[in-house]
Amino acid sequence: MPEINVYYLESPTLSNLNRIFNSGDIPFIRLSKFFESPPEASEPKLTRQERIGYYNRQEGSAILTDFWESSTFIKFLEDATGLKPKLREANHLCYSAGDYSLLHAEESESRRLTVAYDFTKTWEQEWGGYDLYTSPNKNPLICNRDPGSLMIVKLEKADLSCTRYVSQTSVSIAQLDKIVYDLV
Amino acid sequence: MRNANKLPKIKLHPFPHVIVKDFLDSATLDLAIDALAGLEYDFKESDLFSYWASIDLTDINHPAINILRNDIGDDTWRKKVAKSFKVKQFSSIDLAAYVYGQGDFLLPHDDQVEGRIIAYSLHLTPEITEETGGALNIFKANKEGKSKLVDSILPEYNSLILFEVSDHSWHQVSEITSDIQRLTLTGWYYA
Repeated sequence: MPEINVYYLESPTLSNLNRIFNSGDIPFIRLSKFFESPPEASEPKLTRQERIGYYNRQEGSAILTDFWESSTFIKFLEDATGLKPKLREANHLCYSAGDYSLLHAEESESRRLTVAYDFTKTWEQEWGGYDLYTSPNKNPLICNRDPGSLMIVKLEKADLSCTRYVSQTSVSIAQLDKIVYDLV
Repeated sequence: MRNANKLPKIKLHPFPHVIVKDFLDSATLDLAIDALAGLEYDFKESDLFSYWASIDLTDINHPAINILRNDIGDDTWRKKVAKSFKVKQFSSIDLAAYVYGQGDFLLPHDDQVEGRIIAYSLHLTPEITEETGGALNIFKANKEGKSKLVDSILPEYNSLILFEVSDHSWHQVSEITSDIQRLTLTGWYYA
């Protein structure tokens, strides 16, 4: 199992993360180089998932499923956010040229904590493929692809997220483990 | 003035649509392009699209746009459109101009908004090819939302594309992948 960068486990860091997380319009923290060493990205079995007008991408089981449900990571989430997350689902999502998801795909979602770990190998900003988080009457949160980073975002019932259309000019694939935790 | 006086036979698959070629006469076409090129366009971007849009031109009093509005929306043409598509008469139309530049796109959607019966788009760019992007892709989708690309229409210069709006009318504008500007006058005929 991969190990969390020790810097993120120190008490002062966790205290800071908790403060930063709870001060945002949309509560979030972004942690670059989250693991001590990049986890080996196995090749998950992926299937094309499409619902026209909602999403078109490849999906499979999360590469780090065991880690995302481990007590170590859940404890880290609790300390960093002050929340009590309970794993709902963990998927590996791949967006290649022409793929997308749209915000309204999440219209029936409940209050949740989303975690995205970026397995993307290389990326150019002009290819799109960034993660977008929105909340009514708040500025949207844009999270560009950043290999090796972990994004933690708290979303309320009316909040939405999506992955922006990937340009036909892209020669890479946006790859992420996306994990959703219910908040109890 | 309108060059075209009738609509070709409506294609029914995967949803009713038609292409009217050589829609405007050349004098009106030049006038239209000059007028639309002189408008200001705002960049619009969302999860669904990226393009430049003019203000709503429905009620603008401008000599060339008044002519365009009349050519697309006068009683005679409206009746022909309604008759060809076998729908009820329209009460109104709206119109705005759109420019898609390099990297712009419009993802699959069905255009359904209350009152919209027929969508139209007058294409005013001569150089659209498979390589440039900017095709109008039309899809057939099953109940689960899986789609199949049925046709990729490369909009010809001075062609008017019309289709019936319904929960089947899935279409998109493919990403512009070269340095062109795809200019259209677009809107809907309303119930």
